Amino acid sequence: MSAPFAASFSVTTYLATALVLGLFFGFFLERAGFSSALKLTAQFYFKDFAVLKVMFTAIVVAMLGIVYLSLIGWLNMSQVYVPATFLWPQLVGGLLLGVGFIIGGY
Amino acid sequence: MGAESIPRMPVPLTAERAEAMSQRLIKKHHVAIMLLHWFNATVWLTELATGGALISSPHFRIAPYWYISMVQGFFGTRANMLRFHITVGLTWLVVFLVYGTFGFRTYLRREVVENEVKLDADDWRWLWVRLRLILKRTDESLPPQGVYNAGQKMFAALVYTMIPVIMLSGLVMTFHLVSTPLVQWAIVAHFAAVGMIVSGLMIHVYMGAVFPEEKPAFFSMLTGMVNELYAYRHHFKWWQEVKMQEQIWKREVIEEKPEAPPAEPPEARLTTEAEPPPSRPQSRLGSLLQRTFRAPEYWPPYVVGVGLGLTLLASFVIMGEGLGASGGFTRYLVAILAWISPHYVAANGYWSEYAQPGQSPLINFLVFELIGVLLGGFISGWLARRVRFAVDKGPHVTKLTRYVMALAGGTLMGFGARLARGCTSGLALSGGAVLAAGAWVFMLAVFAAGFAGAYFIRRFWL
Repeated sequence: MSAPFAASFSVTTYLATALVLGLFFGFFLERAGFSSALKLTAQFYFKDFAVLKVMFTAIVVAMLGIVYLSLIGWLNMSQVYVPATFLWPQLVGGLLLGVGFIIGGY
Repeated sequence: MGAESIPRMPVPLTAERAEAMSQRLIKKHHVAIMLLHWFNATVWLTELATGGALISSPHFRIAPYWYISMVQGFFGTRANMLRFHITVGLTWLVVFLVYGTFGFRTYLRREVVENEVKLDADDWRWLWVRLRLILKRTDESLPPQGVYNAGQKMFAALVYTMIPVIMLSGLVMTFHLVSTPLVQWAIVAHFAAVGMIVSGLMIHVYMGAVFPEEKPAFFSMLTGMVNELYAYRHHFKWWQEVKMQEQIWKREVIEEKPEAPPAEPPEARLTTEAEPPPSRPQSRLGSLLQRTFRAPEYWPPYVVGVGLGLTLLASFVIMGEGLGASGGFTRYLVAILAWISPHYVAANGYWSEYAQPGQSPLINFLVFELIGVLLGGFISGWLARRVRFAVDKGPHVTKLTRYVMALAGGTLMGFGARLARGCTSGLALSGGAVLAAGAWVFMLAVFAAGFAGAYFIRRFWL
C-alpha cells in the first residue's frame, strides 16, 4: 500500500482525519503568533520575520519529506494534488491579496 | 555579601545545602547541541535498523532471517530499503557538514575539542581509579571532573574517529568510487566502524537511560539543565567554572548598581528564571511540558516551521492534498446559498461546481480542516493563556478605522484568493511545497504587494 491513503477512507474517517490535521494546523499557526495582526503586519515593516521563517521552514520540511517519501516509493506523487498554474490570475490575485493583507492585517 | 569562596576540592555538604543545590538548575547544553544529539540518535537508529537488514548474505548476516524479511517487507523491496538507508545517511552527512561549517566557531570548537575530547591529568587518574574501584582494589574517591568525565570523553573520541570512517566508506559504496577493491574494503571499514560505535553506544545508552545516578544527565539532553548538586558531585571542575562565572557576573551587576539592595540570595534569583513557580512538587517531565506548552511566549519560528511542515507533509501523505483555507470558506458560503436557493447556485457557473447534485458542499476536506484549525488555535491559545477579546490595531487609529480596514482588506483578500484559486495556505504554502509554478508566482506577488503597500499605510500600523 502506498500513500496517499484518502482514496480508501470511509467518509467518516476522511472527515475526522481532516479535522485532526486542521487541529495541528491551527495549533501551530497560533503557536507562531499568527493570531495577532500586529505580528503579521510587522514583517512588512521589517520588524519581525516570523511569518517568512515559519512559512519557508514549513515549505522546505514538507518538500523534503515529499521528495524522500516518493523516492523510497511510499508516496505516489501522481496521486498528489498539485495546483494548476494560471499565470495572470495568480499574479493579479496575489497582488490583490497582498494589498488586502497589509490593509486588513490578517 | 562578599564573594563566597569556591572550594578547591569537593567538601562534604550539609543536608540543607545539598537540598538547596538539588533545587537549583544550571545550564549544561545549548539547544543546538541537544537538537544535534537527537537528530544523530534518530539517524543512527534508523540506519542500524536498515543496515542490519541489508546484510543478508548467509556468510555475513548479523540479524535473524525473520528480522531481515520483516524490514524488507516494510519497504517492499531490498532496493527501496537500500535507497532509504543511503538517503538517510546522506542527509546525516549533509547536516553534519553544514553544522560543522557554520557551527564550528560557536559550538564545536569549544564543545568538542575542549570539553569532549581533551584528556587532562585528572582524567587519566579518573580512568585509573575508576578501573581499580570496579576491581575493588581501592576505596579512594574519584578525582574531580570537567563537564564530561573521562569515560564520556573516551566515548566521544571513539565516535569522532569513527564518524568520518562511516561517512567516507558510505560515500565510496554509494557512488562506487575509485575501484572495486576499494569498495570492498569500504564495506569492511563501514561495518567495523559501526561495530566500534555500537560497542560504545551500549554503555552510553545504559548510562543515560538505565543507570539511576546518571538520570539528571539524561534529562539535561531534553531540557538543557542539570541540578547543581549533580554538577557538584559528578562534574566538580565544571561546577567550579560555573560558580566563577556567576561571581564575575554578580560583581558586574553590583558594581553597576551600587545602591541596589541584594535583597534575595543569588540562589533564588537564578532559579526563578529556569523554573515556573513551584506551587506543587512537579516531575521534571511535568515542568518541561509546563514550560513548553503553558509559557506565554510564542514558540521560536523555526520550531513552529518544522511542526507546520510535518503537518503539511502528513496532509499530503494521508489526504493527497495540502492544507488550505479559502476553498473551505467558499464551500460554507455555497452551502448557505444552496440552502436558501438551490436554483440560484445551480445557475451560477462557479458555485455549481461546489454543489454537485446529491452531495453536500460541506462533505469536504477543507470544510472539516477549518473546524480543526479553529479548535487547534483555541487549544494553543488557551494553554498559553492568550485567549481574550481584543482588537489588534496600530496605536494611532480608532477601533472603527480598524474595523473598516479589516473589512476592506478582507474583501480584497477574498477576491484575490478566489481569483488565484487559493490563499496563502492553500496555494502559497501547499502549492509551494509541491513546487507548483503558479503558487510561487502567487507567493512572490503577495509579498511584493505587501511590502510595497505597507509604506503607504504605515500610519495605520506604526
